[in-house]
Amino acid sequence: MQISESIQSIGFLTFIRESGLTYPVIMATHLCCIAVFGGMILMTDLRLLGLALKGSSVADVVNELRWWKRIGFVIMVTCGVLLGSSEAVKYSINPFFWAKMTLLALVGVHALIFRPRVYDHPEELDRAPQIPGAAKWAASLSLLLWAGLVIMGRLIGYYEPPRA
Amino acid sequence: MLAYDVTKNPLNNNEWAFPLAECIHILGFTLSIGTIAIVDLRLLGLGFRGQTAAQLAKAMAPWTLVGLAIMVTSGPIIFSSDPVMYLYNQSFRFKIAALLVAILFNYTIHRKVALSDHPSPALGALVGGLSLALWVSVVAAGLFIAFV
Repeated sequence: MQISESIQSIGFLTFIRESGLTYPVIMATHLCCIAVFGGMILMTDLRLLGLALKGSSVADVVNELRWWKRIGFVIMVTCGVLLGSSEAVKYSINPFFWAKMTLLALVGVHALIFRPRVYDHPEELDRAPQIPGAAKWAASLSLLLWAGLVIMGRLIGYYEPPRA
Repeated sequence: MLAYDVTKNPLNNNEWAFPLAECIHILGFTLSIGTIAIVDLRLLGLGFRGQTAAQLAKAMAPWTLVGLAIMVTSGPIIFSSDPVMYLYNQSFRFKIAALLVAILFNYTIHRKVALSDHPSPALGALVGGLSLALWVSVVAAGLFIAFV
């Protein structure tokens, strides 16, 4: 509790929390990034599953969207850190927040496992007679993880701590 | 004003119903706006140069439509939880106006330019930029409903 209190008392984080517009503007940016860049994650996964964009090669979809998703991820996480740390006391006791952080850590694990096997050489996926199982696993797990992240993120706002 | 008792709405009687409807709404607009944004970036000349905007627009269209369908189904359900509040909410009014313009724009000018054989880069950039701006406004105004 003390750590979260000292985090959110940092000057500009107090400002974010207490000024009327700053908090929702950061939150709106966070949400717009989900719409624009989250959609790119969805389409990459659907391409790997062979469900969408079959006119484009897997390599095209993965390579062309990679940098956009990275840019989006940085903006999204920056906004998220600002939102979470400015309300650190509330977030630190919110189970949905910790569920979301766990899913985010799993996204990191997902990248460690599947980047060398799938995303780093999408050209090989195009050469294969059919999309290999590892790529389909990567895509399905990515869909689940990101949908879970969005859902947990939304639920953070609904948590009511039990009254002591 | 309305012969409708909001307290009987399931959204107001189950603690999970409203958040669930919102999650579906968010996932729906992520699909529709994300697929539109990919076409917009192509129109802006910022990616997918190996394909024409027309090829991309055609490939995205069904997914955009699925996303839109989820979004305009879940939206009115959320609205039904407290219609009077929404009707008098300035951010909601702005959002609906921006949404109508964005949908109209998407299926007229945006579609025409994206599907034309060789749109001039300037026109493509203008249409792609305007489309992104419109959809971002809709999302931002939607979030602000809770803050105005």
